[in-house]
Amino acid sequence: MTNIFQQLSDQMAGVAIQVQNTLVQITDGRGSIGAGTIWHSDGLIVTNAHVVIEHDRRGLVQQRQLSVILPDGRTLPASILAIDEANDLAALAVNAQDLPVIEPGDSQALRPGEWVMALGHPWGVRDSMTAGVVIGAGNNLPEMQPGREWIALNLTLRPGHSGGPLVNTDGHLVGINTMISGPEVGFAVPSHVVKNFLKEALGAAGTVV
Amino acid sequence: MVEVLKSFSDAMADTVAQASAGIVRVEGRKRLAATGIVWSDDGVIVTAHHVLRRDDDIHIVLANGESHAATLIGRDPNSDLAVLRVNGTLQPIPKAPADQPVRVGNLVLALGRPGESVQATLGVVSAIGSGQMDGVIQTDVVMYPGFSGGPLVDASGFVRGMNTSGFMRGVSVTVSTEKITSVVDVLLKHGKMKQGFLGIGAQPVRLRENISEQVGQETGLMLASVEKSSPAEAANLYEGDIIVKLDGQPTRNLDELLALLNGERVGKAVPVTIVRSGQVQEVNVTIGEKQ
Repeated sequence: MTNIFQQLSDQMAGVAIQVQNTLVQITDGRGSIGAGTIWHSDGLIVTNAHVVIEHDRRGLVQQRQLSVILPDGRTLPASILAIDEANDLAALAVNAQDLPVIEPGDSQALRPGEWVMALGHPWGVRDSMTAGVVIGAGNNLPEMQPGREWIALNLTLRPGHSGGPLVNTDGHLVGINTMISGPEVGFAVPSHVVKNFLKEALGAAGTVV
Repeated sequence: MVEVLKSFSDAMADTVAQASAGIVRVEGRKRLAATGIVWSDDGVIVTAHHVLRRDDDIHIVLANGESHAATLIGRDPNSDLAVLRVNGTLQPIPKAPADQPVRVGNLVLALGRPGESVQATLGVVSAIGSGQMDGVIQTDVVMYPGFSGGPLVDASGFVRGMNTSGFMRGVSVTVSTEKITSVVDVLLKHGKMKQGFLGIGAQPVRLRENISEQVGQETGLMLASVEKSSPAEAANLYEGDIIVKLDGQPTRNLDELLALLNGERVGKAVPVTIVRSGQVQEVNVTIGEKQ
């Protein structure tokens, strides 16, 4: 019989393996620029807008040589399907079928104190996990401009986590890792905001079935 | 297989939800609001001294959104505590039984309500203060903005203290429930903390080697002045005497002496160890009250 510490540890490792199956790395041909989450088996990938576009003198530009490293190791060129700069979201397409997809969770049911895990490639370290609790969620958090929805997180996000999945204890997607505020506070865009973005931008293709 | 990870997560969120009624928003400064702890059901609320930038026009907002005017009962800058009172019956967060002390390694939640809903961060108890740090618990919980004045809650939902980042920039500590209880008692009775008084001017000096070995410390406090009609004069302390201990505790520097001159010693006769003419002696001093 294992003790509760071992059981917690084992189940977290189980969630990591389950979610790593749907976690991609996004590169610009030179190196890792962030993470992404497989939303649909036909190659629809969700990430942050700031991962795939940048601003320069001419305005908004797409990262050159955008490609995606799939969980199975394949590297495929990616194209941008849609961008929502206000919510820092982007939808990418790669030419692939039958990809494993992330299970959707209910981000509106998140409670403060709930345990969540964030996956990504911090500083380019592949398929990493960090875990902690939900501080709070909503559109009126102290540090943030009111009106925009966020999940505040007590865990260690780092550059490279951006665009990766935030999951609950079932391994279901509740957010997209997006921002850091101090060493131990991060922010994720709630998954219901992602759902709305995909529905508006892509229509039926964005619906998870 | 039992879903321990899910149970763990649910238990933490439940703990937050149960404590929620005992956590209030405190509006007593211009910028971000802070947090307060419902201490007893008769309307006593504990918060951090440093988040109250004014003495009047203080409001608290309950979990159900009700706003109440609060009266400032008193402050203790030394422990960064302030006590407020509101009219009405409130639901306090339960306190741990005395035989269940918090331990290093325990998981704890820091809770706050700077906005409408309660918020939480998770951490581990790092150290339980003793000596000069008596009454202080150190943890690695993240103090989210507006968390000062909020409770540290353990896995059983007991309040273990009040979190504050008001002592040092970037460092947060928790004032223990025991310390809060003693400060709340004094503030409810007197409206302020008593501070002990000797009536001396002193400065730290290095002790001679043989004295140092005898008393087990390298420095003491040499009296530069003794005020007329003061407790020190009444005890026949003179300029040039070196105070090395008060009530058995070392006085190696002024901070240590000031910490020992707390309200609990006011009016009490305590032994003071001094070095006079190269000899270690003991005199009794009745601690006065600082006006």
